[in-house]
Amino acid sequence: MPPKTQPVNGAAIKNAIEGRDGKMLASFYADDALVRVIDRNNPPSKPREIRGRAAISTFWDDICSRAMTHKVDTTIADGDNLAFTQACAYPDGTKVFCAAMLELKDGQIARQTVVQAWDE
Amino acid sequence: MRPIETRYARSGDVRIAYQVVGQGSFDLVFVPGFISNLDLHWEDEGYSRLLKRLSAFSRLILFDKRGTGLSDRIDTHHLPGLETRMDDVRAVMDAAGSGRAALLGASEGAPMAMLFAATYPERTRALVLYGGYAHFHKWVMPPERLDAFIEMTETAWGTGATLPHFAPGRVDDPRFATWWGRFERLSASPTAAAALARMNAAVDVRGVLAAIGAPTLLIHRRNDARVDPDASRFLARKIANARLVEVPGRDHPIWTGDVDRVADLTEEFLTGRHAVAEVERVLAALLVTRIYDTARLGDRMWSERSQRFLETWRLLVGRHGGRTAGTHGEMMISRFDGPARAIRCAAALRDAAKGIGVASAQGMHVGEIESRGPPTGLTARVTMQLAAHAARGDILASRLVADLATGSGLHFADAGRITLDELGEPLATVLATSEQHLEPACHSRIKATEPAALTARESEVVSLIADGKSNAAIAAELRLSEHTVKRHVANILLKLDLPSRAAAAAFSARHTGPDGP
Repeated sequence: MPPKTQPVNGAAIKNAIEGRDGKMLASFYADDALVRVIDRNNPPSKPREIRGRAAISTFWDDICSRAMTHKVDTTIADGDNLAFTQACAYPDGTKVFCAAMLELKDGQIARQTVVQAWDE
Repeated sequence: MRPIETRYARSGDVRIAYQVVGQGSFDLVFVPGFISNLDLHWEDEGYSRLLKRLSAFSRLILFDKRGTGLSDRIDTHHLPGLETRMDDVRAVMDAAGSGRAALLGASEGAPMAMLFAATYPERTRALVLYGGYAHFHKWVMPPERLDAFIEMTETAWGTGATLPHFAPGRVDDPRFATWWGRFERLSASPTAAAALARMNAAVDVRGVLAAIGAPTLLIHRRNDARVDPDASRFLARKIANARLVEVPGRDHPIWTGDVDRVADLTEEFLTGRHAVAEVERVLAALLVTRIYDTARLGDRMWSERSQRFLETWRLLVGRHGGRTAGTHGEMMISRFDGPARAIRCAAALRDAAKGIGVASAQGMHVGEIESRGPPTGLTARVTMQLAAHAARGDILASRLVADLATGSGLHFADAGRITLDELGEPLATVLATSEQHLEPACHSRIKATEPAALTARESEVVSLIADGKSNAAIAAELRLSEHTVKRHVANILLKLDLPSRAAAAAFSARHTGPDGP
């Protein structure tokens, strides 16, 4: 288990996302975590599934390598459930908006579902 | 959907045109080969299919190399080295906000992608090299053949003359050949083309292969017409983390041949997931053309004439905006976006067949087919069966074709129903009777004054009308509904161009021969 520098909560997630800190984000997840992404290319009956911390780490590295801005606006916490919305923009102005639901287990993210849409 | 925007990145003093498509979670930079034009790619079916496939799982970044397409021209007296051109990739990535990307280098784009991966390992997520090479003279062409190629670019550039060097499998495809000519003209001027060929000839990246650490997939077509497959086998031995997949085919450009195979391999490699075989179905009008009465001609004459007809078929299908979709035994299959074009093509083919000294028989149907590969499935089989049923010179179509061609000025005559094995109920058919009339609005139709134009059922109905029977009586006698009889009568009057039942009765009396009307 990587050293946990911060507890997983809304503020930590906001800092990591807005700071494009892929390593920090990856450290929030349990070894066998599952991230499901639903968007135009990945419909609800066939969401994109990213399993395990290694794959999730690659996923966040890819996202964070982009020179785009992320803003986490609303965070709601309720016991082991966490939800937030995220507004992102590419340098050319194209916007992406995501809503995420998280389930925590033993202080780490066990399951996350992201629904996203973008300008096109 | 927003149109795809073309933007310009600045690389030193040179502006590089680029486009960004798709919203995948990682970036994929496509490094094109010899020549390219960002705008024109979307107009070729294979190219746009490749780009759509790639942008479905990535954020795809496309650009024209300096000296090509929409990017700035180069000073042909001071050719830039590969390092300078490779740095255009970095400039485009910076402009697109891409910190790290997978690179797909095709043909001449492959050495550029390799040099990038060796120079910027931290920005290279993975490499896919299609039809690539590390040394031009060793695996593409020796110096003397290059001189001949450059001479050809000087004299015949813009005519599509280079096509046989790249995609010999497509030289018989008039539409693609025309596109290729435009591709040459819009991608580079003759002087620039010669300069690009010289620059590419200087490519030798054998020295940097050991420095490539990114996971690498090599794809090469076994009989590649342009680049020797040994080029990729060499790369597979020299790049540490590389895997080579040889695929069938001889056409070199990545957007020709089996595009889906290349896209499948790339997607699987980059996402780690099997590409789901996407079955995309599109609506199409299919035309099946066969030579009627093949036994009448001797073997040799048959072979000569069928060959000529086959060439004419390719030409006419292209001219009518259709695409030849292969042959199935003696059946020639073509597909069109709409039925009217297909019918006009069929009529032209019928005339052409006569000119060659053969007779045609054709079938036509409209339905969904898989957009991948040649048309197979129910729509194709129904069309082939219609062609098999068609008589000498006939263009036999499903009723649906006539319904969809309403307003096109084309004319059809009812041809009854045909029972096909695979369809639950008999298929209503029509015969295409005439070419477009000069005044399509005018309600004119051919004078089908021969009773033979009536179906057997209609002939029965006519003779009962001549007996003075009412629709109800006819319905009872033929065990049909009265509604059906009404339709038959209407069709009969329409076909014979007669004003009333009485006229039909008179017609029947006039035409009663030994076999009845």
